[in-house]
Amino acid sequence: MTVESLLIDTRFGAFAANDRDIVTLVNALPGFERCRRYVLLSARSLEPFTCLQGLDEPRPSFLTVDPRVVVPGYSLPLEDSDQRRLDLLPSDTPLWLAIVGLSADAASVNLRAPIVVNPRRMVGLQLLPATSAYSCDHRLPLD
Amino acid sequence: MLVFTRKRDEAIVIGDGIEVRILRVGKDGVRLGVTAPPDVPVHRQEIYQMVGAANLSAATAPANAKDDTSMVERLATRLRRDSAASGLSADAVGRSVAKVDLSAEAVGRSAAKAEPAR
Repeated sequence: MTVESLLIDTRFGAFAANDRDIVTLVNALPGFERCRRYVLLSARSLEPFTCLQGLDEPRPSFLTVDPRVVVPGYSLPLEDSDQRRLDLLPSDTPLWLAIVGLSADAASVNLRAPIVVNPRRMVGLQLLPATSAYSCDHRLPLD
Repeated sequence: MLVFTRKRDEAIVIGDGIEVRILRVGKDGVRLGVTAPPDVPVHRQEIYQMVGAANLSAATAPANAKDDTSMVERLATRLRRDSAASGLSADAVGRSVAKVDLSAEAVGRSAAKAEPAR
């Protein structure tokens, strides 16, 4: 397999990645149906946040965080159908990414519809549970 | 929009074998049964639209990104403090996916032609 180098623009600057860093969504994110390929970025100063950067137009850029860091004990059941779509085996440790929304003076996390990634296969999807105890805009403390 | 008249127990078929069947017609609603291949997710529209609206408002296009780095760093500092206090380390929550390091050095080294977005 050839490894292609990609130059990627993000809200935090521009940098290079390889095609093996690409996470492909088996189902696109609602609102961004044409963007399937993303790269997950980290920086020490931003931890525990990561940046989920879309590679297909309109190249959306998301700030993400593991929901278990925001709410200790957070857990959402993974339906059998979702496990199959992600090809999750019992030995796999999926990655959980909740999308962070920023406004001028507030931040909130979408705990209701997290993105789950199977790092072994580099595939992911956003969970859309019909009912949930978690909200779409869980407030994050600023200071 | 295609419009059909269907009676109870009748169905329509969409694409490669996706079936939508009328199970019951009541005063307050219609009960539908959907049969779809496992790779076709089926959602209630209001959930899909709610998450879509949340996704759209959270996404930032690099081209018109505002400088939100300092706010993110403030939030990150607070979260690191909270999780240190609760004994939850970042390593404890699994970080095995391939991640690209977005450090200032990496940006400077690999993107000689590209202007940082901010």
